Amino acid sequence: MAKQILSFTVNDEPVDVLVQPYVTLLDALREDLGLTGPKEGCGTGDCGACTVHLDGKPVASCLMLAMQARGHAVRTIEGLGAIGALHPLQDAFVRLGVPQCGFCIPGVLMAAAAVLAETKHPTEEDIRYGIAGNLCRCTGYTKMIAAISEAAEVVTQGAAR
Amino acid sequence: MSTMKTTRDVRGIGISIPRPDGPEKVTGRVQYVADIKPKGLLHAKLLRSPHAHARIVSIDASKARALPGVRAVLTAADIPELKRKAPTRAHAVLAIDRAVFAGQPVAAVAADEPSIAEEALDLIEVRYEVLKAAVDPLESMKPGAPPVADTGTEADTSEALAHSAVAMAKSDDAPAKAVNVSQTAHVKRGEVAKGFAESDVVIENTYRVPMVHQGYLEPHAVLAEWDSTGQLTLWASTQGSFNTRSEVADVLGIEENRIKVIPVECGGGFGGKIRALCEPITALLARATGRPVRYVMTRREELEAGMPAPQVIIRLKTGVKRDGTLMALEAETVLETGAFSGTVLAVAAVFLGSLYRWPAFDIKGSEVLTHKPSVAAYRAPVAPQTIFAIDSQMEQLARALGVDSAEFRARHLSRPGEPMVNNQPWASMGAPEVLQKAAEHPIWRARAEWKASGGNGHGLRGTGLSLGGWLGGLQPTGATVRLNPDGTLAVLTGQVDIAGTNIALAQIAATAYGVDIDKVKITTGDTDVAPVTGLSAGSKTIYTVGVAVMQAAQDARKQTLEIAAGELEAAVHDLEIVDGRVVVRGMPDRGVTLASIGKKGNLYMSKIPPVLGSAHPAFTQQAPAFAAQIARIEVDPDTGEVKLHDFVTVQDVGKAINPLAVEGQMQGGAVQSLGMAMTEALMYDDSGRLTNPSLLDYRKLTAADLPNLETIIVEVPSPAGPFGARGVGEPPIIPAPAAIANAIHDATGCRLTELPLTPERIALALIAR
Repeated sequence: MAKQILSFTVNDEPVDVLVQPYVTLLDALREDLGLTGPKEGCGTGDCGACTVHLDGKPVASCLMLAMQARGHAVRTIEGLGAIGALHPLQDAFVRLGVPQCGFCIPGVLMAAAAVLAETKHPTEEDIRYGIAGNLCRCTGYTKMIAAISEAAEVVTQGAAR
Repeated sequence: MSTMKTTRDVRGIGISIPRPDGPEKVTGRVQYVADIKPKGLLHAKLLRSPHAHARIVSIDASKARALPGVRAVLTAADIPELKRKAPTRAHAVLAIDRAVFAGQPVAAVAADEPSIAEEALDLIEVRYEVLKAAVDPLESMKPGAPPVADTGTEADTSEALAHSAVAMAKSDDAPAKAVNVSQTAHVKRGEVAKGFAESDVVIENTYRVPMVHQGYLEPHAVLAEWDSTGQLTLWASTQGSFNTRSEVADVLGIEENRIKVIPVECGGGFGGKIRALCEPITALLARATGRPVRYVMTRREELEAGMPAPQVIIRLKTGVKRDGTLMALEAETVLETGAFSGTVLAVAAVFLGSLYRWPAFDIKGSEVLTHKPSVAAYRAPVAPQTIFAIDSQMEQLARALGVDSAEFRARHLSRPGEPMVNNQPWASMGAPEVLQKAAEHPIWRARAEWKASGGNGHGLRGTGLSLGGWLGGLQPTGATVRLNPDGTLAVLTGQVDIAGTNIALAQIAATAYGVDIDKVKITTGDTDVAPVTGLSAGSKTIYTVGVAVMQAAQDARKQTLEIAAGELEAAVHDLEIVDGRVVVRGMPDRGVTLASIGKKGNLYMSKIPPVLGSAHPAFTQQAPAFAAQIARIEVDPDTGEVKLHDFVTVQDVGKAINPLAVEGQMQGGAVQSLGMAMTEALMYDDSGRLTNPSLLDYRKLTAADLPNLETIIVEVPSPAGPFGARGVGEPPIIPAPAAIANAIHDATGCRLTELPLTPERIALALIAR
């Protein structure tokens, strides 16, 4: 099959890339753009490890074709923050010792970032439901919830300043 | 073991510090096997048998081989190393002429793109003659059942050895012609029949726990490449690189020196990534193509053809006198091992018969082959299943006698020094302290009030408690500690760090040597450079590798002080390390810096040897570790749905080297335990095919299913562990199934004996009530 040009925005940068029309957004990000932060844990949208933002909303990138992202803005974990300039969520995850194996973490962080974008002062329930589409097998979620709560306050205070 | 005194309070053990690779993990920079993409990479896919049991009549791969982009297609006929009577899954690289479980690989493809490899699988023509499958383990035990293994295949007990499960007498009374009974064990003491005859209360139940998957988020993955000299490099997602190297060397029939295993970041293992699985076939595809080949299992393949935990069926009969005296215990345990042998049969007997003081017991165990994927360890293998049975039984006995169940457990709990079923004495352990702490918890003490508050618009309310433990794994291991020219320390082991053990090992090195943790760097080396290091399994990383690191750091400290003694013209025993300097005690001006000692060890023409501490201990003393869990629940009387309100884990960790990491282990283990209790099961149809091969249908608990998880750390020091530490990983996965069943019993009066405790089962029990 002939490859097609996919033009979209990835982590604030305009990108043109040749992709097979049948590849998923996840595969295009990982294999064609080298953004391996999003993970494939199931390939069927059940585990959330591949979560990225499409125009600010969390999506399972394994469930959509890359070409469906044409003209849209995609943000991956690589665009959430960087070493030395961590997003408050990333900072709280590190400080509270959330990551164990770490495989689910990029997806959880993107889901959590979407919760924070929608809700200034999320309740524990808001957070639990906000990341309910992300499976984690190591942490029992407890430290995640605490870290997201802490980060929400940091983000809200930062915005108020 | 004596621990060397440090000369002042360094920042080392006992403090909560996050792991140093946290920033890499939260930014997506950490690389797992599937993220590594060398030049010329090929992608592997496996064709798997759709039948649980079938004769392979013929395989025609010619069309697949002709597909552009396909670089190799392998069947059993292409692999001279393949032998019949494969003792393990790893040895059964591809089915030779008989597939023995649905999902068993029969052919392998390497291609330029994953999509081409997929297409090639569709072009391979396999003719099967479907045979009758042994699907139910109790049927499979009977004479005349369809045979699973080739005649003459030996039982695999290496899993039991890896977990240092206690040795036990093999039974010699295996039923004749029961071809699928691959191992048996039998322990007895005292007169069981007499014990039951003299009992006032006798309770008998059969407990069932289905096969469950370890559920690590990263599927099995491996990247293999051979160089022109015949050296194989494997980038593996493994819990033990040296174990992987040995297994692959054995399967391929090559020297271990020709294989380098690089342990890549492991996205969870929980016992499922101890044994080799897809490494041999990937290495063979790489050899056939002369290119690097990467194989990543799909989630469906993981669920259909991974290495889950065995199904465990336990018939348990216990008798007590009216005054509560324990009289007799009788048990028959069946472990369904799938298509290859390899369960830890002894663990079940130990916990059934040893946790409480049964004067008479008779415990039989059988490992049974079926036409299903063969099993492996899953965090405290067989312990949650066994504790589900014995603790449910203790709860029922206490209720029948009308006594407090926590007190009943405490009264009969074995103490250190008392004999286990195998006549070995219980080692130092904190089960009594853990149980007492749990019994004092406000949620347990308020259980009557909680139960009374049920109904009247609420569901039925109940509280459950359970106690379980793990004997503690052992394995020889090694570590080195170097002093760098700037006075910092470099620790090297081969230990795979999944949960954050490296930071704890660095803390141990810091305290044992006498510098702050920020001066210590720890590295996990590959099998070419690291000292031999055991598995990250069995709750033994800190307990064993921690000792190696501690002793290596003590050795490095001794060497450092000896060098300083020469420089300072002082006796070693008068020296201490303070703030990065070796000084004469009481004379802080007389000293040399660690940096100057380190520098001289790497100076041209220097006569000072470099400081290199090493240790490579082997171990004999286990450190049992216990956890108690308390569940406060509410049952919807119409739907049977259980809402978990509170969940508490109390655990003896000996000494919390890094409390932050310890809590993480306790919380994660608790949720796996709750998943086994409430939602998880691999479900098979009558033909042996998995009916729930996705994470939508294989239901793991999510953040929305759970309350906050309370953790309470108890510290009863172990005599042999580093600074008194015990293993931490396994205990928290053990008690929850019994705790939830006991809570349901408290709330509804119904006793459920089959996991998972689903709304459907609970609702049916409520109707039958």
